[in-house]
This record gives sequence, C-alpha cells and structure tokens, in this order.
Amino acid sequence: MGTDNNHHHNNDTTITTTPATLGPNISNNNNSSTANNKSPPKPPIKPAEPPTPTTTTTLQPFGSFPNTADSDFISIPSYSRWFSWDNIHQCELRFLPEFFDGRSASKNPKTYKYYRNAIIQRFRDNPSSAPTKKITFTEVRKTIVGDVGSIRRVFDFLEAWGLINYSPSSSSSSSNKAAAAPQQLSQNDNKDSSSSATKSAAAAAAPPPDAPPSASADNSTTAAAAGGPKKRLCSACKSPCTISCFTSDKHNLTLCARCYVSNNFRVGISSTDFRRVEISDVVKTDWTDKETLHLLEAIMHYGDDWKKVAEHVGGGRSDKDCVARFLKLPFGEQFVGAPESSEMVDNQLTSRRSSFQNKRMRLSPLADASNPILAQAAFLSALAGVEVAEVAAHAAVTALSDFAGVKIKANLKSVPADAKQQDFDVASHGDTAYRMDGALAEAQSELEKEEEDVERALCEIAVQTKELQDKIVHFEELDLQVERESQQLQQLKDLLYVDQLTLLFYKAAAHKSGESMVESVKAE
Amino acid sequence: MKPLSTWGSSRNPVKFRIPTSDNLLPIRLDIEIDGQRFRDAFTWNPSDPDSEVVVFAKRTVKDLKLPPAFVTQIAQSIQSQLTEFRSYEGQDMYTGERVVPIKLDLRVNHTLIKDQFLWDLNNFESDPEEFARTFCKDMGIEDPEVGPAIAIAIREQLYEIAVQSVASAKESRMIKKGRKGFEHIPISKAGGIAVDLVKSFGNKSSVIRKRKEWDVFEPIVDLLSNEEVDALEATEERNAR
Repeated sequence: MGTDNNHHHNNDTTITTTPATLGPNISNNNNSSTANNKSPPKPPIKPAEPPTPTTTTTLQPFGSFPNTADSDFISIPSYSRWFSWDNIHQCELRFLPEFFDGRSASKNPKTYKYYRNAIIQRFRDNPSSAPTKKITFTEVRKTIVGDVGSIRRVFDFLEAWGLINYSPSSSSSSSNKAAAAPQQLSQNDNKDSSSSATKSAAAAAAPPPDAPPSASADNSTTAAAAGGPKKRLCSACKSPCTISCFTSDKHNLTLCARCYVSNNFRVGISSTDFRRVEISDVVKTDWTDKETLHLLEAIMHYGDDWKKVAEHVGGGRSDKDCVARFLKLPFGEQFVGAPESSEMVDNQLTSRRSSFQNKRMRLSPLADASNPILAQAAFLSALAGVEVAEVAAHAAVTALSDFAGVKIKANLKSVPADAKQQDFDVASHGDTAYRMDGALAEAQSELEKEEEDVERALCEIAVQTKELQDKIVHFEELDLQVERESQQLQQLKDLLYVDQLTLLFYKAAAHKSGESMVESVKAE
Repeated sequence: MKPLSTWGSSRNPVKFRIPTSDNLLPIRLDIEIDGQRFRDAFTWNPSDPDSEVVVFAKRTVKDLKLPPAFVTQIAQSIQSQLTEFRSYEGQDMYTGERVVPIKLDLRVNHTLIKDQFLWDLNNFESDPEEFARTFCKDMGIEDPEVGPAIAIAIREQLYEIAVQSVASAKESRMIKKGRKGFEHIPISKAGGIAVDLVKSFGNKSSVIRKRKEWDVFEPIVDLLSNEEVDALEATEERNAR
C-alpha cells in the first residue's frame, strides 16, 4: 500500500496551471468580483452560449506575488489536462454518453457544456479567502436549470477527474480518490447503474454495505485509505461478510454471522473459540508501523497516561486498544521504565526486531520533527547504523558540491556574460564557489520571474480580448433588437394612418349622404 | 369557427406526457421533522432508475447537513410523486388547439417575479428551462437560483393542465359509454382554460396585443430588501397555517 501511494503521487503531478500549458482559458478567482462590478448587468454565471464563459481580467499586483501565488492559479491534476472551456473531450463522451446519443432532444452537447461550465465556474468563483472550498452538489443543482439526475452525473464526473473540489494539499488522499474513482467510473460506464452498483461494491468491499458506488467514491476510498479494504469471506458459505463476523485465530477461520449461528463449522471447533468482530473494527485492528511508532513515542512522553497516549496515536484507537497493543509488543515491559534503561537493555538484546524498535524509540525526537526529509534521513540512518550513516553523509556532501560545480558550469554557458564566466572559472576551484552559487541562483530566479511576468501579461491580454469580443456580440444583438422594434413602430404608424384615412373617408361619405338626404327631403 | 374546434377534439389522443421537449417532472418537497423544515423544488427525470432517488436523498442530506431522518422522508416523497406521474403515464390526453396562459408569481431569496404569458400546449418541443435561462439573462437577474425556480413553476403548471386534460378525457370516455351525444362536452370542459385563439386573432386585428393588455403581460422583477423579505416570509407562514 505504501508503494502504491508513492506511485500515484508521482503520476499526480499537481501542476499549477500556468497559462502556457492550458492556454488563456483559465480564470483567476480573485478579481472576478471586480470584473463583475464593472459590468453590473452581467450575471455571475453565464448560462449562455459556451464560448462566452466569464473570465477574469487583471491579476494581483506584483507586490503581493509570493503570498497569493496559490490563489492566482488553479491547480488540477495532470490527468485532467485535456479540459478546455470550448471543447468536449473524448473521455467526456465516454463517461457521460447520455448527452451525446441523441436519445432525448434536450440532452445535447450544448446543455452538457452549459452544465459543465456552470459547475466549474461556480467552483472557481470561490472567494479568495477560501480558494479551495469544496462545493456541494446541492448548492450547484439549485442554481442550474436542468434535471437533477443528469446534473448529479456531471458533477460526479467533474469531481472524480479533479476539475472541481480539488485541493493539491491533500494530494495523497486525493490521489487515492482519483485513482479509485476513475476505476469506479469506468465500471459504471460499462453497465447500467444497478449492475455496476453490485460490481463496484463487491470490488471495493466497502464496509458500509448500502452506499451505492457513484455517491460513495468518498466512502470507499476513505476505507481504502484507512488501511486496505478487508474482504472477509466466510470460509463456510463463501459469502462476503458485511456486518459482523466471527474469527477464530486458533484455527484461522472466519465465519459470517449466519454460519456461526447455524454451527456450520468443522467438528473439533467449539463456539467458544470464536470471537465476534464487527466489520468496522476489522479495518482498525491492524496496527500499522506508523501507529506503533506513534504509540511508542506517546508512551515515552506521557508514561502511564493512556488517554493522552490514545490521543497521540489518533486514528480512533481507544486507550484500551493502546494498552492491548502495547502489551502485545514483544518488549513492551522494558519501556515502562526510564529511557536510559531501554538503552541498556538494547545492548543485551540480539534480535534484529528489538534493536529496530529500540532505535526507533531513541530516534523518535527527531523522527517527528516537522521536516519530513530529516525524519526520513534519521530513520534510514537508524536502519543503516551509525558509522555507515556518517560515511554516507560525508560522501553525499562531497558529491553534491562536485555536482553543483558541474551544473553551474553547464548553466553558465547559456549566459552570455563573459565576465561572469571568467570569474566563475577562477572561482570554481576556490572556496568562492559558494558565493557564485548564490549570485547565479539569483540571476536564474530573476530570469524565471521575468518569463512568468511576460506569460502573465500575455494571458491578461488574451482574456481582455475575449471580453471585448463578448461585449461586441452582445451589442450586436441589442442593435438587432432595436431595429426590430423600430420596424414594429413603423407598422403601427402605418396602421394608424390607414385608420385615420378610413375615418375621414367615411366621414366624408356620411356627410355627403346626409346632404343628399336633406336635398331629397327638400325636394319632397 | 365551429368546424375548427370539432376537428381539434376528435384528433387522435396522444399518450400522456408533459408537453415539453424533455419529459421532466417537477417535484416539490416540503418536509418537517422535529421542527426543522425543509422545502425544495427541482426537476426530475422519470426515466432515471429508482435507485437514483435514494442516492439523491442521501446526497442532499449530506450536503445540507440535515439529520439523517430526512433521508427516508425525502425518498418517500419523491417516490410518491413519481408513482403518481407514472399512473397518468399510460393514459391518453386530448390536445386540442390550446394556448394557455401561464402565470409566474414567485419569490426566490431577494427576487420577486410576477409575469404572465401564453404557452402553446401542442408544442412538444417547448423547453421551460430555455425560457427560464433567457428570462434571467434578459432581465439581468444576478441570483442564479431564480432560473430553476421559474422553470419549475412553468413545469408545474403545465403538468397540472396536462393532468386536467387527462381527467377530462377519462370523463368524456365515461360519458361516451353512457350517452351518445358526447361531442360537445369534451370541448367545453377542456377548452375552458384555453384562450380561444380564433376569437382574439380573428379577422382584422393585428397580431400585436392591445395596448391596455400590455401591462398585464409585462414581466415585473423586483429586488427586495432584507426587511421586506422577512415581512413576506412572516405573512407566508401565517397563511400556511
């Protein structure tokens, strides 16, 4: 499991998405509010055509660059690099086929893009104080016009691929999630949801038996993260145990509750040999090395105060668990005394495991130092032994200094400053190498800074041109409408004119007929 | 104008469905447990499998941090509305020439909307969601929760009318069995709500609405302040009791 973690961590290069990699389409959070203040009629979420997502304009002023570097960039995992606002990628077609198969008139690519962009926009509109605040599905579905089933599927898809609710700080846990979730999604993709529910539930063997897979990507992966999903198969009836089972360590058997009750086990085993184990406890009864280490540290610090020890161990171990585990450790009694006695005991013991543990005890002050590299170095040197570690350290230092010299030489060749090179040639043989190191590193970082600045400016320009384009389109529409209305007005005018004419005509006619009547009366 | 209407009613009845381009069902929830009130409204796709109901209920409870007792209640409520819809599904409904007025009168957070417009029931390509989106965009509504509320209100009214037409179709069938002179009865029952297109847009008047009706059909969007919202909520609760 440990190696698995590392493997996934390597894949999961949480790249801070610089504009170069993803094009000028990424929106920065901080200034979306100011952009909206400038143009009040624009709604924060544009449910309109996909080519017009609200993108923000200015970046933070350079003075605050170091602090707000994180919130200016959105990070998404490297396996989601395909995402872009305007296009639909192959894997989206695969995972959400309902939108693309033309079965229902309203589920078309346009609405899919609208849902997807709206959800991502909503996530990225997080206030700058909480740039990685997770959004919930309910929040989203309240604001999107559409049916909740499909919105939920899009939301789950985006979350699984790390396009929303992704925080790089939790990279190990999220890499687990990310690793497990696409698997689950691929399983869902192949069959319809009911059969896939059973399939992925069995595969993950998640303890909560009633959690359907798509919603429980979290549940199953936290179970996975918590120390391997334990699949308990009953030895008698070969069915996976769900709620509670009975194990017999003596005979190495596991029975589900039903078999136990029906006495479905071999002759020679009595029911007293079994102890009841809740599935929720099973996962926890395996003490990992880390937890044991914590336990020992805690005991050293807190002595007999088992409550504090349990706190220090964490992971839901009660104080009883800690005591039980401590007693089970082969040399637990030795540690009750002062640490010095443990060192003395050290010298007498010959078994590797005990010395291993004792060394861990001694090293624990350094092992829980906040610097993980130091901790690891301490751990390794404990494994290797003192003299070996010393020699190795010396060798490493000399190798590093040599290597640094070579590297800086190589870098310098690209710098056109000849004077520096001459200086360096002289300096590399002396002890002024360190000073040049510093200067060179500075120069390099300045160069990089400038590069980044240029990239940012470019990004800014691109974003602004897009905004201008949006505005132009909007104004064109308005223009059309105004024209239409003026035409209508013209029509009304014409009608009015016709009415007036007819009125006049009839008036004239009536007048004439009136006259003729008067004449006829006169004639008579 | 009579020949037109009789022709309309004797057209072959269509299977029941909501007369929009996608057959989505409006669902309204109003659940109260231990003094906690949960009200919500959304659209549901009835072709989603039933397992989806439980999933959705759990998700909602988890997201809103409601007590878990809500899960079963929500699921039950959704399920019962679904089955009611399904019970209508197999039956027929008559669709004559029907243009019905749809009224919007809703309050979502701080926005108050009053509107009235005509909707063609025979247009099975109509899309309340698109209407809602355009409405929000045109009126410059900033609150994103308004759109779905409008779409749901329209759908609910369409659903009501569709249900009524099913009911009238049933009744007319029963009357058919009873007596022979059935022709005019379905017309009068079903046509009660509809606007008689022929009358208003008959011979000489233009398609443009009369000026005095302009105010009635114009949408009104009001943004309320906090106190007004509180006052309205208080009156609503009083009316509810």
